[in-house]
Amino acid sequence: MNETLTSINELMQKGNMAEVVRLSQVAIDEGSTSTDILNALLSGMSVVGVKFKNNEVFVPEVLMAARAMNGGLDVIKPLLEAEGVESIGKVVIGTVQGDLHDIGKNLVSMMMVGAGFEVIDLGVNVTPEKYVNALIESKAQLICMYALLTTTMVNMKKVIEALEESGLRDTVKVMIGGAPVTEKFAIEIGADKYAKDASSAADEARKLIAV
Amino acid sequence: MNGKERVLKTLKHETVDRAPWVPFAGVHAGALIGKNATEVLLDADALYDSLMAVKRLYQPDGMPVVFDLQVEAEILGCELLWDDVAPPSVATHPLENTTDMLCDCKQPEADKGRLPLILDVMRRTKASIGDDTALYGLICGPFTLASHLRGNNLFMDIILDEAYVSQLMAFTTMTALKMVDLYVEAGMDIIGVVDPLVSQISPDHFELMCHESFKTIFDYIRVKGRASSFFVCGNATRQIDVMCKTNPDSISVDENVDMKAAKVITDQYNIAIGGNIPLTTLMLHGTQLENMKYVVNLLDTVSNHNLIISPGCDMPYNTPTENTIAVAQAARETDSVRSMVESYEAPKEAIHVELPDYANLSKPLVEVFTLDSATCAACTYMLGAMNVAGDHYGSQIDLVEYKYTEKVNIARCKKMGVTNLPCVYINGRLIWSSIIPSRDELFGVIDKLLK
Repeated sequence: MNETLTSINELMQKGNMAEVVRLSQVAIDEGSTSTDILNALLSGMSVVGVKFKNNEVFVPEVLMAARAMNGGLDVIKPLLEAEGVESIGKVVIGTVQGDLHDIGKNLVSMMMVGAGFEVIDLGVNVTPEKYVNALIESKAQLICMYALLTTTMVNMKKVIEALEESGLRDTVKVMIGGAPVTEKFAIEIGADKYAKDASSAADEARKLIAV
Repeated sequence: MNGKERVLKTLKHETVDRAPWVPFAGVHAGALIGKNATEVLLDADALYDSLMAVKRLYQPDGMPVVFDLQVEAEILGCELLWDDVAPPSVATHPLENTTDMLCDCKQPEADKGRLPLILDVMRRTKASIGDDTALYGLICGPFTLASHLRGNNLFMDIILDEAYVSQLMAFTTMTALKMVDLYVEAGMDIIGVVDPLVSQISPDHFELMCHESFKTIFDYIRVKGRASSFFVCGNATRQIDVMCKTNPDSISVDENVDMKAAKVITDQYNIAIGGNIPLTTLMLHGTQLENMKYVVNLLDTVSNHNLIISPGCDMPYNTPTENTIAVAQAARETDSVRSMVESYEAPKEAIHVELPDYANLSKPLVEVFTLDSATCAACTYMLGAMNVAGDHYGSQIDLVEYKYTEKVNIARCKKMGVTNLPCVYINGRLIWSSIIPSRDELFGVIDKLLK
């Protein structure tokens, strides 16, 4: 990694969007490939993810890092498209019906982007039908469901049932998470994976769809 | 020493006979009287009746009147999404797209939003059980309230616009002080400042953006002559120290925090700590035995001085009553429950239990299984209800109580597959578990058997 890419990586971790955007353009001008720049951005986000998992950084720092990453991604997007660089997989994510909490879901979404996935974020209060439709449209390999309430986590099962009814269950992996959710609950409702935090979710996603 | 004295002494860091038990029943209280979450939060009589049921069944030393962090947000213009089995959620954030400040004229007053209902129930609750029960008035903490108003943008504002966050925190701190005034006036003994989102920012940011607000609120509560508690949710391990520096009388944490490690810190500041019975894995989905074991283990693991036994946060609506009864029993009668747990888990002993020949009984057999009808209120009521039947039917029925305090009865429970106490079996079949039947219901079942 050259000096500019190293700086991008470091500034990413500090959440300095303006500098990440500027240096991404510098890196292009210096002849770095879009893949090199992408890797610098993603590895920076990955470091932030690990620190978040270890309780060394918190929500504001992660949001700032994600913002910086997105700034850098915007700069290299045209190049990625021109060079035919593809994401490592598609993920549909949302907070389940009846639940309006989105911080946790957003963090997972950011970590997924940081891990190289294309993320289709359905927002909060997502009905089973919306998950199914998003899956049909995107042909995603993974559905992630989030809930913060004991009363809404049960709606995760309804999504899995909707996937079964529509004959799509075998085409997609299902991962769930959120404060009240447990591994036992994931097994009970027939999810493929439980992730205990946002960083683990990205790691598990890679394993689940065997990247 | 009554429950109220026990809680208040603990918050003054004085020695008490045992750690106080403070269930945060929240909307679960409604489940005890057949009312849903929306009903108990919108109907004063339903709320009051549900609190009386909490007092009767769970024998708390202290209890909150309302556990709803959206009361202030609603007054300040947030729209709420209501739910039958959970408190409402904030659906809209009035400051999401603007850094303008709200008018001070919007601040809570006794006649705004749901405050007339809440203040009324606080006064009624104080009058009926306030002599021996410490009552908590819970207010939304200033940081969480700021996020209700501003939405998730608040988290980046912390880094990008400190001045705005300071201004917003000043506003929400003012809200908190107004709520303190109102709840103190309505007779609350303790003001709990509930701020779950504090666990989501770094200790440095807490000190920079939040310290002053919380310290102001806790100092104000002290000036008002009341005790305070700082509630947090999530993994607040890193924040406990800076939370202590705001000088509350106590801190309340959930299962994401290691109580033993946290108590080392709170003890350094001579601040009481409450917690941290896991809400979902134990209270909602665990067994009675698992709940008792957790509480006994907690009490055996940390110093009982400056300690309050509570759920990690407000209890899920569908928390089985018997699990809370078990927790209450473990908190109140720890030695006896410790023996129960030990007996239950002891290697198979040669206690032979002969079960009745249920298929060939000469008359209806009513078997009441209790934790201990002498000390567990729910058990007392259950046995009391059956004794009414005993008096009424006399020699037409057989009535027997099995207390879980005796090893032979634990063996009997194991053999019969009894898992939740108190409960009633009639002719070997489980008929009532935790819920005490009405006289009509009870007599109806027995009459049918006598025909």
